[in-house]
Amino acid sequence: MKNTKGYTLYFLVYKNLQLKYKHSLLGFVWSFIHPLFYLLIFNFVFSKAFSEIENYSLFVLSGLIFWVYFSGSCNQLSQTFIKNTHLIKSLQVKKILYPISEQLTELVSFLAGFILFIGLMVYLNLNVNITILYIIPIIILFSIFTFSVGLILGSLNVFFRDIGILWNTLNPALFYLTPIAYAIDIIPQEYSFYFKFNPLYHFLYIIRNVLHQGCAPEFYHSLFCLIITLITVIISAYIYKKTKNGFISNL
Amino acid sequence: MKEIAIELNNVCVSYLHNRRGIYSIKDFVLKGGIFSPFEYKSVLHNINLTVYKGESLGILGRNGEGKSTLLRTIAGIITPTSGTCKVHIEISPLLALGAGLELELTGIENIKIYNALSGNFNKKTISSVIDNVANFSELSMEQLQMPTKMYSTGMLARLAFSSVVTSQPDLMMIDEVMAVGDKGFQEKCKKRIHEIKQAGATILFVSHNPDEILEICERGICLEHGKISYDGTSAEASKTYLKLFN
Repeated sequence: MKNTKGYTLYFLVYKNLQLKYKHSLLGFVWSFIHPLFYLLIFNFVFSKAFSEIENYSLFVLSGLIFWVYFSGSCNQLSQTFIKNTHLIKSLQVKKILYPISEQLTELVSFLAGFILFIGLMVYLNLNVNITILYIIPIIILFSIFTFSVGLILGSLNVFFRDIGILWNTLNPALFYLTPIAYAIDIIPQEYSFYFKFNPLYHFLYIIRNVLHQGCAPEFYHSLFCLIITLITVIISAYIYKKTKNGFISNL
Repeated sequence: MKEIAIELNNVCVSYLHNRRGIYSIKDFVLKGGIFSPFEYKSVLHNINLTVYKGESLGILGRNGEGKSTLLRTIAGIITPTSGTCKVHIEISPLLALGAGLELELTGIENIKIYNALSGNFNKKTISSVIDNVANFSELSMEQLQMPTKMYSTGMLARLAFSSVVTSQPDLMMIDEVMAVGDKGFQEKCKKRIHEIKQAGATILFVSHNPDEILEICERGICLEHGKISYDGTSAEASKTYLKLFN
């Protein structure tokens, strides 16, 4: 039974994908359309306002797709244990596999959309060279970070159902506090210091290094992302370990 | 010659229970839960139980006395708070009504996922399992291709029961599923359980119907307030159980 974890994961991802797209006509194309729709809005509303940003569409797009991935994953992960109550109560499957499978499902649909977006980015004059491969480790690191945040939300949500609601409420606020549609330069000096406490700011910085400026990610910000991810992983592992045995009685 | 299948030594299980019904942060603040929102509520106390291979054990007890918790502990889904629980044979998934059924998916997809999650990944065996389930449950292929949310309770029970009993498990745990199916299906289930028993499987059977316990099990235990109050023949256990209500 030891090496069956991979298969179990595979089937859970399969199940999640089935559930996600079964009744939708366009299937995974939605993971392309959703950010595209926002891109059109931002382009329409803000491109004049932030005209000092070079190639504004590409700037917004590179931030948006990662934001959509982040918020979507956290949303799903915060519900993952609650959704799988029946399975958790009746099958001897390691509970951590449920959030992992959820994250993988999100990753699969993110990547499916991302491939299409690369095409769009090239159309928007992204300068394609070998440095674009830096995006692969960034996606992996970002996925681990997202997973840890989602695991914290998911574990606590079992005990206090308003964690999920609270997350949905704070989500738009976090969106506007993260420099996605604007550059951090427009924030007055005295506030911009606080913006740097937002881990997403640092992630977006290195993502834009690669996908907007077309160069290698900056060292200081990359290191910061690595440390942030490490800390979140440790915190989430601690919270998960503390709470997992109480899941069954609270689900 | 008797081989031990399941060994429980001084097993205690307690739940992290939400004191004063605090289920949101609002309650947490208003009801002063800040100091101790959770308390341990004990469900099973010092359970000592040895089940031998091939034995069939009936578990009786009032609602909420810890029967399902006992099964889940043996299935490894709940870790005991103290004591040890050793199972020396392979466990089949816990059979409870509609467990793990994903209502949006079709019957066939559910069978596949259920099998995969319980450790059967082989494509060939899965397709033969689907045939067996279709045969046993008497659900037509058309019905199996419908999302299970359209099933009646009886059909769900048929699907859930069939997907477990068509295999030949070493240890079968049944948690009150018989009550739902119609008379014909109930008889069929009992027959199948007897077959599985004859083949040498160990059976743990939870029911509220002492007659069923008598029919299937030789040994019976009675749970009262999280303790085993009686352990012996199923006939005596049934009597003890019936006395609880007089």
